[in-house]
This record gives sequence, C-alpha cells and structure tokens, in this order.
Amino acid sequence: MGCSSSVPDRSSGRSTGLNNGENSEGPDAKNLRVKLVLLGDSGVGKSCIVLRFVRGQFDPTSKVTVGASFLSQTIALQDSTTVKFEIWDTAGQERYAALAPLYYRGAGVAVIVYDITSPESFAKAQYWVKELQKHGSPGIVMALVGNKADLQEKREVQVQDGTDYAEKNGMFFIETSAKTADNINQLFEEIAKRLPRPSSS
Amino acid sequence: MRNPASLDLVRSIKSFIVSFSFNAPNPENNSKRIQDFFLSMEAAIRGHPLWEASSDAEIDNALEGLEKYVMTKLHSRTFASSAEDVKMDAEISDKIYLLQNFLRPQHLDIPSVLQNETAWLLAEKELKKINAFKVPREKLLCIINCCRVINNLLLNASISEDRVLGGADDFLPILIYANPPQLHSNLKFIQLCRMQSKLVSEAAYFLTNLVSAKSFIVDLNAKSLSIEESEFEESMQAAKLVDRVPQETLITFDKRSAFRNITDPGSSIPMHKKANSNINGELNYPYMEAEAGELTVGDVERLLSLYKDVVTKYTSLCSTVRHLSVSKTVSPVPQGNDDDLLRGSNGTHKDTSCKGD
Repeated sequence: MGCSSSVPDRSSGRSTGLNNGENSEGPDAKNLRVKLVLLGDSGVGKSCIVLRFVRGQFDPTSKVTVGASFLSQTIALQDSTTVKFEIWDTAGQERYAALAPLYYRGAGVAVIVYDITSPESFAKAQYWVKELQKHGSPGIVMALVGNKADLQEKREVQVQDGTDYAEKNGMFFIETSAKTADNINQLFEEIAKRLPRPSSS
Repeated sequence: MRNPASLDLVRSIKSFIVSFSFNAPNPENNSKRIQDFFLSMEAAIRGHPLWEASSDAEIDNALEGLEKYVMTKLHSRTFASSAEDVKMDAEISDKIYLLQNFLRPQHLDIPSVLQNETAWLLAEKELKKINAFKVPREKLLCIINCCRVINNLLLNASISEDRVLGGADDFLPILIYANPPQLHSNLKFIQLCRMQSKLVSEAAYFLTNLVSAKSFIVDLNAKSLSIEESEFEESMQAAKLVDRVPQETLITFDKRSAFRNITDPGSSIPMHKKANSNINGELNYPYMEAEAGELTVGDVERLLSLYKDVVTKYTSLCSTVRHLSVSKTVSPVPQGNDDDLLRGSNGTHKDTSCKGD
C-alpha cells in the first residue's frame, strides 16, 4: 500500500516537501483552521485525493474513523504553526452544479480538480475558477490540481496547459496521483503555506 | 442555576424570554437577538464567579443547557412561525410526495451498488425524528445521525464492493432521496437559532448538504433529472392522479358503507326549512307535521322517495352502530374476556339499536 510514502517524481518545483512525521497539535502554537472546498467534475478523484491525504498520515486500514464526504486533517508546518483543514467535498455531477455556492461560501481555500485524461474535466475546472473569481470569498486561496497523473499514456491535458492557466489566474498548480499518493502531501503543504496569517503574529 | 449566586443570570434569561413576547415574530430579527443573547450570556458565564473553576467542557454544558431552555420556551415563536414558512413546507412536501411516484435512484446518479433500502430507511428514520425535538441542537443531531448512516453505507460499500469511495458525488444524491418532514422550517430554525459557535465543521457541512438537498428539490425540473420536459410533466401529472384516486375511493367507500345517507340529505329532496324546528329530521323531511287531509296525489311520489330514504338510512345507521360498538368494546379489553364481552356487546346492541327492524 504505502500510502504515506509520497514520492514527488514530477514536482511542480515549488513544493518543499515537509516532513509530517511530527503531527502534533501544540495547544499553544499558532493554530489555523481553514475551510477547504473541493470542486471538480464527477469522477476526477476529488474524494480520493482527500482520502489519500487523510489516511496517508495514519494507518491506511483505519477506514471507520473517516467520513466519506467531510474530512478534517491537521498538518504541522516548519514554522511550528499547525493548519487544520476542514475539507468539504461537493457533488461533481452537472445536475448539482447550481448548489456549489452553498458549499464554497466562507471557504478560505478552493481546490479545483480535473482529470489529466479528460479535456472536459479541464474545461469544467476552468468554469469553477471563473465562478469562484466572481462569487468566492475575497482572498480565497485557489489551487488547480490535475489528478490521475499516473495515467501518463492516456494523458490528454498537457502539463503546460495546466501551468499556463493557473499562472494566468494567480493560482497554485500541481499534478497529483491519488492512486500512488504522488504529490498529495505537497498539495496540502503548499496550500498551508499560502494561507494568510493572522496579522497579530 | 438553582444557586442563589446565579440570580443575576436567571434574571437576564427570564427578562429575555419575556421581552420576546412583545414583538411580532420576525425570523431574521429574532435570530440576531437570540444569537446576541447567547454571546452575551457566554461572556457572562465565563466571567461569573460560579464558573470560575470550571473547565471548557462544563461551560459548554451550561451553554447547551441555556440554548435548550431558551429555545424550548421560544419554540412556538421561532419555529415555522410565519405563514410563508408553513406554505413553503407544504409546497416542498407536496413536491416530494409527487416525485416519489416516479423518481428513481438513477435519475440522481445513485449507482446500483449503493441502492440499499435498509440503510436508506435507517437514514430516513433518523431524519424523521427531527420533529420530535424542539431544540436546535437536537434537531441538528438528527441530521448528523442521518448523514452518518449514509456515510457508513458509502464506506461499507467501498470495502465490500471494492469500489472507489465516491465522496460527495454519492453522498448528496442519497441524502436528497431521504424525505424529511417540514424540511424548510427545520433548516431555517437550525440556521437561525443554533448557537453560531457550534455551527461549524462537520455539523455545518451536514447541515449545508441538507440545505442543498432542499434547494435541489425546490428547483427540481426535467433538466435536474436528465429527462425530457414532456416526460417530466407527464410524470408529475400522473403522480397527481395517483395521489387523488386513492383518497377519493377512500372517502366514497366510507360514505357508502356508513355515512352517506346519514350526512347527505339527498340532493333530489328539496329542503323546506322550518324556522323554529330543532330536530334535524324536520329539515330534511318536510311532511313531519303534515296532516293526512293536506296531502295530494302529487305528494305520493315524494313521500315514497322519502320513505325509501329513511329506511336506507336507518339500516345503515344500525349496521354502523353495531360496527362501532364492537370495535370500541374489543380494543381496550384485557386478555381473557374478549369472547364474552364481544358476544355480550354484539347481542345488546342488536337488541337495542335494531329492535323492530
């Protein structure tokens, strides 16, 4: 299985691979809590990414302790802050698209996922980016994620397309594989680092 | 709160509740007042000498107790308090009722491995408990329990069917399939009156899912189910007919078997109402005070029809009375004497009510 071993073989170049071994929640440390909403077409692997992220840190067999659509996970950063992600999954089918605003309202982070083997899902991701730019919370941190990076031979969306689009829209971009756990931790660590810090600290 | 030292707190709670009855219900305004009150009470409790040595958990308990007390007192003024809310509830349940006639799991993208009637019923049962509770926290718990049942179904399916866990793609459709009562009012009540500090994290997520389920149902049209407009309209019309037929049959059956001829004076018989009559029969049977000499040949036809009417009514009245008295006597009787009492009552009523048949 090896869920916790994430080998960044195709790093975006920006992730700095933190070690999450010491995942202790210091009660007096600067503890951030952030609502993260997952958007993307049905079947692109939104929930797999989160499950990999949450389970990868622990025993992969502990299935009963996690929910199916709401998950929370705390990570520790090098500067001794901890970030607790409260991850809100959304239904990706087209018929439920109109309900998304109920979920992303008040979210500090939006992770928009597409499948690198499906150009339709990439188009859908761009739709979500535009919608969030219009209606999302101001200052929302957005990440564009190309999932299923293990399916190289079926790739239809080039890395460059993702990078370009993300750059144009001031987003963080990464390709992941929920299947091999590739870049999963990097995704969340990078988001954590981009979160606005409370000004008092 | 019984401690005399808490008198100041008790006083402010009471005056808050009393102050509420002076104002006309206005949900949004009420919500603000309630939330502000919770906040000020939280500050008061935290700074109070009585709770000085208390842990966060104990203070939490006190706050939950406060919410429970206040919201129980204010329930009737805050829950489904406007005519609009009541109307909205009725509209949504009507729509759900019609949809149940033709909506299938595949319309909502529920995969067949997740079509588990037992788990769905269990989830629905949890949700239906919502009206048994008056306090936002308890209502919210019903929603959370329902969502957990669905979550477990998804997790179990992912283990036993070796299926990739679908997350919200699977979760929301199943939740929409459950049919909660007074959906609109319950959600509004929780959103407005639950202590805001508790409406976070998983609880907020599950609540949002139910809010979005409601929103989906309210806006539901042919496109939401990926079917043709005409098919949707036809199905809704058909559902309305299915809905009406059993009710009509039921009423007709009732009337025919027992009350039709009693309650319905018969449209063919004109009512010659006597101003000072106090017997119902006199209204319906205009010949009650007539003398034989006053009658003409033309009256024979009406007299005959009235006679038939009376006989029919009397017969059905007899059978109904017999029926009613039997079922009344039997049900509350403790074990053992059933037979005797049944026979006794049957016999008596036959004797008294149908004598001279």
